[in-house]
Amino acid sequence: MELLMPGLGLIFWMTVSFGFVLLILKKYAWKPILNVLNQREKKLAKAFSDAKRIEYEMSQLAVLKTDKVAEAEKLYEEITEKAHAEGERIIESAKEKAREEARIISEKTDEMINKYKKEAMMEIRSQLSALSLDIAEKVLNEEFSDRERNTRYIHKLLEEVAAN
Amino acid sequence: MQRSKSLTYKALFTLVLTALICIGCSLPLSAADTIKSTGSNGEPPSFNARKVIVDHVLDSYEWHLFDIGDREFSIHLPVILFYEGRLSIFSSRRFDHGYSAYKGFRVATDGPKKGRAIRVLEDGVTPDPHASAVYDFSITKNVVAVFVASALLCLLFVSIGKRYRGADIYATPKGLPLFFEPLILFVRDQIAILAIGPEKYKQFMPYLLTVFFFIFLNNLLGLVPFFPGGANVTGNISVTFVLAMFTFGTTHWYANKTYWKHMFNMPGVPMFLKFPVPILPVIEIAGALIKPFVLMIRLFANITAGHMVILSLTSLVFVLGSVSILLGYAISPITVVFLIFLNFLKILVAFLQAYIFTLFSAFFFGMAVPKADH
Repeated sequence: MELLMPGLGLIFWMTVSFGFVLLILKKYAWKPILNVLNQREKKLAKAFSDAKRIEYEMSQLAVLKTDKVAEAEKLYEEITEKAHAEGERIIESAKEKAREEARIISEKTDEMINKYKKEAMMEIRSQLSALSLDIAEKVLNEEFSDRERNTRYIHKLLEEVAAN
Repeated sequence: MQRSKSLTYKALFTLVLTALICIGCSLPLSAADTIKSTGSNGEPPSFNARKVIVDHVLDSYEWHLFDIGDREFSIHLPVILFYEGRLSIFSSRRFDHGYSAYKGFRVATDGPKKGRAIRVLEDGVTPDPHASAVYDFSITKNVVAVFVASALLCLLFVSIGKRYRGADIYATPKGLPLFFEPLILFVRDQIAILAIGPEKYKQFMPYLLTVFFFIFLNNLLGLVPFFPGGANVTGNISVTFVLAMFTFGTTHWYANKTYWKHMFNMPGVPMFLKFPVPILPVIEIAGALIKPFVLMIRLFANITAGHMVILSLTSLVFVLGSVSILLGYAISPITVVFLIFLNFLKILVAFLQAYIFTLFSAFFFGMAVPKADH
């Protein structure tokens, strides 16, 4: 029974000491300690969430990268294709132009050749006529020197006509 | 290999230390108690185990340190008494270990006031039946133990707190903080946040931490058999009463509207339970009073019971020794083995009771700050 009897003095001193300890520790111990613990946890939580966010962003960037690469590849293909076609077209048109040019040149050449040919023919003809006249003149001069033979030939010709 | 070797050394060291503690435990019991219990009328020495145990568990005006031969070495603490408006302050040496009266006061030897100063008649022995109340503010053994524990707590945690002020928050704790930080986190995470919830636990943290370390330290000091340990502080009903009242006061200081509403006007129950006979409010108020009462009794009973078991086992040697010296010697090793085991158990209990008191306090705080009506 004596164990269960509270003592006034001990209650008083205990209240005073415990209250004192509570106040002192609250101000000089728990406050700074809990402060540091909370701050540390907050920073760790922030670091953790930052890491998570960055990881997410990185994954997003990776997706973006593959997208961009695919896009670029597509664009490259398109451009090459276009350039190819363009090149082909340019070559084709150049060929066409060259062909046209060549045609024109050959036509012109033909014309010139014809012109020169004609001129040459005219020249030849005039030369030829002059020459033949000369020859004829000479031949005639020669022929007319033999009267008898001419007469014979005329007679022959006349006979042929008479025969017809 | 190195590791297991050092572990063995540690185990050995712990064993030796515990054995020393146990032997130390039984030292103060040895000479004086057997002599005291013989009395002055020349009876053969007999050992009164009950008296020894209760005397050791109770508070006292002096702090018995040790005996050398027949000489008793004690610290005589000041006695401060208020009686009929008069203040008497004197050394407890005047009581002569309870054998003498001084200024009309004497230490009661039995009854509910056993071990405390009471008023006696002119003959110096008979209690005064007509005496008015004696207000006793003496600095007793337990008061000194409380002072010592308080000073230790303040020194320890203020120095730890200093290290945390302006410290690099990422730095790994070293030394004392390294040891105490897990305990502080344990109180916060496993007690406060668990019982009160993450929104409202913060305002209760200083109290919970203080009460936890106060009880834990006093429990451990109670296991140390020599000065300034060995006082049965947390096994004293006055101490646990004050702790329980602090919990009660804190609960009702921070209690919110919902709590008071539930106490006096419980929502959602029929009116006839509240008016005209306030059955429910009475039950609620009784509940609010029973909670700290249970806290008080639990801590007191657990710690006192532990002390009693250790003292009983130690007394066993002397009880059997008073029958036959040989029997006393024969039982000693067995007792020591049991005491080693019990001391380990008491270290566990020291932590456990501090944890339970703090956890239940936290639960009561949690009930005092409910979220809203439900």
